[in-house]
Amino acid sequence: MSTHTESVSASATQSRAGKYLTFFLAGEEYGLEILKVSEIIGMQPITRVPRMPEFVRGVINLRGKVIPITDLRSKFGMEQDGSEDSCIIVVQMRGIMTGVVVDRVSEVVAIAEADIEDAPTFGAGIHTEFLLGIGKTGGRVKLLLDIDKVLASSEIATLEAAQSHDV
Amino acid sequence: MQTSDDSSVSSLNLDDAATLLMQLEETDTADLTMLREALTDLAFENRVPHSAQPFVARAARVLGTIVNGTAPDVPAAFADVSSAIEDAMRASEGSVSRADRVVERAAETTAAAVTASVPVFELDQLDELDEPAAPIVPKRSLQHDVGVDQLPDDADRDLLPDFITESNECVVNAEVALLQLEAFPDDEEAINTVFRAFHTVKGTSAFLGLPRIAAFAHEAESLLSRVRDKEIAYTKGCADLSLRSADMLKALLVSAETALNGNGKLPLPDGYHELLDALAGYDPARDADGVMLPVTPAAPAATGAAWSAGADSDDIFPVPTGSSAAAASAAAVPAVGNGNKPRVESNADATIRVRTDRLDRMIDMVGELVIAQSIIAGDELLGTGKQHDLLRKVTHAGKIVRELQDLSMSMRMVPLRATFQKLTRVVRDTASKASKTVQFVTEGDDVEIDRNMVDVLGDPLVHMVRNAVDHGVEGPDEREANSKPRLGVVRLHAYHASGNVVVELKDDGRGLHRDKIVKKAIEKGLIESDKGMTDSDVFNLIFAPGFSTAEQITDISGRGVGMDVVRRNLEKIRGRIDITSAPGKGTTFAIHLPLTLAVTDGMLVRVGEERFVIPLTHIHMSFRPEPAMLSTVVGRGEVVLLRGELLPIIRLHRLFDVTNAVQSPLDGLLMIVGDGDRRSALLVDDLLGQQQVVAKTLGDGLGKVPGVTGGAILGDGRVGLILDVSETVALAQSHEPTPVRRDRKHAA
Repeated sequence: MSTHTESVSASATQSRAGKYLTFFLAGEEYGLEILKVSEIIGMQPITRVPRMPEFVRGVINLRGKVIPITDLRSKFGMEQDGSEDSCIIVVQMRGIMTGVVVDRVSEVVAIAEADIEDAPTFGAGIHTEFLLGIGKTGGRVKLLLDIDKVLASSEIATLEAAQSHDV
Repeated sequence: MQTSDDSSVSSLNLDDAATLLMQLEETDTADLTMLREALTDLAFENRVPHSAQPFVARAARVLGTIVNGTAPDVPAAFADVSSAIEDAMRASEGSVSRADRVVERAAETTAAAVTASVPVFELDQLDELDEPAAPIVPKRSLQHDVGVDQLPDDADRDLLPDFITESNECVVNAEVALLQLEAFPDDEEAINTVFRAFHTVKGTSAFLGLPRIAAFAHEAESLLSRVRDKEIAYTKGCADLSLRSADMLKALLVSAETALNGNGKLPLPDGYHELLDALAGYDPARDADGVMLPVTPAAPAATGAAWSAGADSDDIFPVPTGSSAAAASAAAVPAVGNGNKPRVESNADATIRVRTDRLDRMIDMVGELVIAQSIIAGDELLGTGKQHDLLRKVTHAGKIVRELQDLSMSMRMVPLRATFQKLTRVVRDTASKASKTVQFVTEGDDVEIDRNMVDVLGDPLVHMVRNAVDHGVEGPDEREANSKPRLGVVRLHAYHASGNVVVELKDDGRGLHRDKIVKKAIEKGLIESDKGMTDSDVFNLIFAPGFSTAEQITDISGRGVGMDVVRRNLEKIRGRIDITSAPGKGTTFAIHLPLTLAVTDGMLVRVGEERFVIPLTHIHMSFRPEPAMLSTVVGRGEVVLLRGELLPIIRLHRLFDVTNAVQSPLDGLLMIVGDGDRRSALLVDDLLGQQQVVAKTLGDGLGKVPGVTGGAILGDGRVGLILDVSETVALAQSHEPTPVRRDRKHAA
C-alpha cells in the first residue's frame, strides 16, 4: 500500500495545528479536524444508490435524515480488501452532512504545527491534494486529511461520471 | 389594516390610550387587542394629525407583537408602546418630529405633481361622500416631475414590509371585486370593496412616505367613488381603467419592495403618468369604450344550474338552454365572473402568520414520528402475541400520532380559490384581446392542495387557460355558424377522486383534431406514423417540445413552447395530465395531483436485495406475464403484449446494476407505469406492499441522481430509493438495449 503525497503548497500557509480525530483505514492512520466531525456511529446497512461513482457507497438513515456515505478506500484508489468495516464517521462540511467509512477509530490528539510537515511529492498519478499534511506524534505518522477537498471533488467527479456513464 | 367605516370602536384618544396602557399587563389579551384596534383606527381614520400617525401606527404594531406573543422582550415592548404614544402626543401638539418631515416632504412632492385644486393630503375632506370642493373638471392637468424617487431616508423599514404584503392583499381583493363588478355593475358590495381597498392603500402609503402610491390610489379611488355615487356608469372603459389601476398599484408595490430590499431607489413603473392622467381626466361623455355593461341576466345562473344538473361524463357540454339571446347582447364585452350569483366572502376565520420553514420542519418531524412509531409497533417483541398490554399502549400512541399527522398536513393545505381567481382575470384579458366572448365558470375552488404545489400549478394553468380561450374556443361568428351559442364556456373544476386532487379544464370549443396533430408530428419527425396509437396517445403528442398546430402565432400563445413546459412543471409536483377531446365539441384537460408532496403514497418493490418505492399515482397496474405475451424486437428490445398494447420492458436490475435479481419476467412482476408514448413495463422481483413515505433529498453531496427523486425511511429504518418514473423510462429509452441473451427459454 502506498502513501499518497504531492506537495500541498496551498495549505502550507494556514495553521494546521489543532485537535484531530485519528482513525485507521487499510493499515494507515489518518486524522480529521475534530471541529468538522459531527459524530461516530456504528456500522449500519447502507442503501446503494445506482449509477453513482464507485466511491459513493450509498445512503443511510441518520435519525430521520438521509445522508450519503463515501468510501475513502475507493476515493484514494486503494483496493477493497473486504475486511469488515466497523464504523462511520459523520462529518459536517460546509453545512452538508456526509459519512465516511473507516476501519477503526483511534483517539483525539492535539498536534502542534511544528509536528506537521508537508506531504512529500511522489510524482504524477498519486493524488495527495487531499492531505493537509503529515503529522508526527507518538512515534507514528498520521496522514491529516483535508476533508473539504476529499468530499468536494467527489461532487465534480459525480457529474463527470454521470455524464459519461452508460449501461 | 382594515379601515372601519363605522365608529363603533370607542372614540379613544391618545390620553385615554396612554392611561389604559398603564393598567394593562401581558395577560390581558382581550383588552390589549381592543387597544390595538383602537390605536390602529386612530392612525388610519385620520383622527390624529399626520405628524402623529407614524407613532400611533408603531404603537399599534408593537402592541400587536405583545398580543400574539412574538415580542422578544415584553417589558421592553410595553415601554416601547408607551413611549410611542407619548411621541404621538407630543407630535400632535405641534413640536417638530421626524414624522412631520416625512409627511411634509411627501406633501411637497405630490403638491408639485398635482395642480388640481384638491390637494392629495386633505384626507379628512375626502372622507366625505360628497365630492369635495372642486367640481368635476373634465380634464385636470397634472404636472409630472421626472426622475426616480427615493425611499425617504427615515422610512420605517419595519412597517414597510407589512404594508406591502397587506396592500397586495387589498389590491387582489379589489381586482376580484372589479371583475365581479363587470358582470354585475350594480353590485354595491363589490364597489365598496374596491373603494375601501384603494382608500386603505392611499392612507397608509401617504404617511409611510410613498407619495406616488398615495397619489395614484387617490385618483383611482376618486374614479370609483364617482361610480359608487352613481355619478357615472361603470362602463367598459371604466372597467379597463380600473383594472389597469390595480395592475399599476401592484407594480408600484413591487417597486417599493425592490427599493426596500435594495438601494432605496423607487423606479416609476411604465405608463404611470399616462394612467394617472387618464384616471384624472376621465370624462364619461368622451368615453370611447362607453359600452354599457349589461347586468348579467339570470341566464348564466340558470346555465350554471343546467351544467351541474346534467352530470356530463359523456357530453363535453350540454348546450345551455335559451340563454343565448340575452348573453349575445353582450356584444364585444366578455362576461366574466362566476356564473353564480355573487357570494359574500366571509373572512371570519381567525388566522395567524407562521413562517413556512418552521411549518415544513414540523411536518417533516411529524412524518418521522409516524414512521418511528410504526417501527415500534412492528417490533417482533410485540408480534409474539404475549405483550398485550404493551401492544395496546403502542397502538393507542399510534392513533394519536396519526391524528397529529392529519392535522399537520392540513396546515399546509390552501384552497385553490386564489389560483382560480387569478385565472378569471386571464380569461377576461385573453378573450378581450382575441375578440371572443367567453364565460369562465369555476367549481370546487374550496378544494385544497399543498401550498408548495399551488405556486407551481399556477403557470401551467394560466397557459392552458390562455390556449383554451385563444385556440380552443372559436370566435362568436364561427360558433354561430356551427349552431353553438356565441358565448363560449371555459370551465375549471376541481374535485377529489381516489385520494388525488383532479383539476379539470374544459372548453366547448373546436376540440383537438387527431389528423392535424398526426400530420404535424410526422412533419416534426416525432413519429413515423400513427399506427397503433390511440386518440389519447395522439393527443399526448402536443406535449412534445416545439409542437404547435396553431396556424397563427399570436402574442398570447402558439409559439409551441408552452405545453412541454406545462407537462414538466406538472411533473415537478408529481402530477399527471390526461386529455380527452371531440372535434367540434371541445377539449378536456384533466390534471391529477397528489394531495401533498410531503408524503408520497408509494408501492414498495424489491429488485434483488434492494428496495425501491414507486409513487402510486404513476402505477397503472402490475401483473405476472404469460410466456405468450413476451416477445423480442430485432433480437434486442423486449416487449410485452397486454390487451392489445405493446409495451417495452425495462429491466430495473440492469438499469441500476442490481445483482441477484430475477432475470426472467415470468418469475417476476411487470408493472405498467407512465403515460402516453412513455408507457412501459418495469420488471421487478416482488411487490412488498403499499407504504406512505416521507420523501427526503439524498444528501446534497450527491447532487442529482438520475432516475431517483429522493430517499425514504422505510419501516425497518433503512433507506429506500424513490423512483422518478419518467426519468427512469427516459434513461432506459436513451440507452442501447443490450442484446437479448439467446438462452432465454421463452424467446418467441
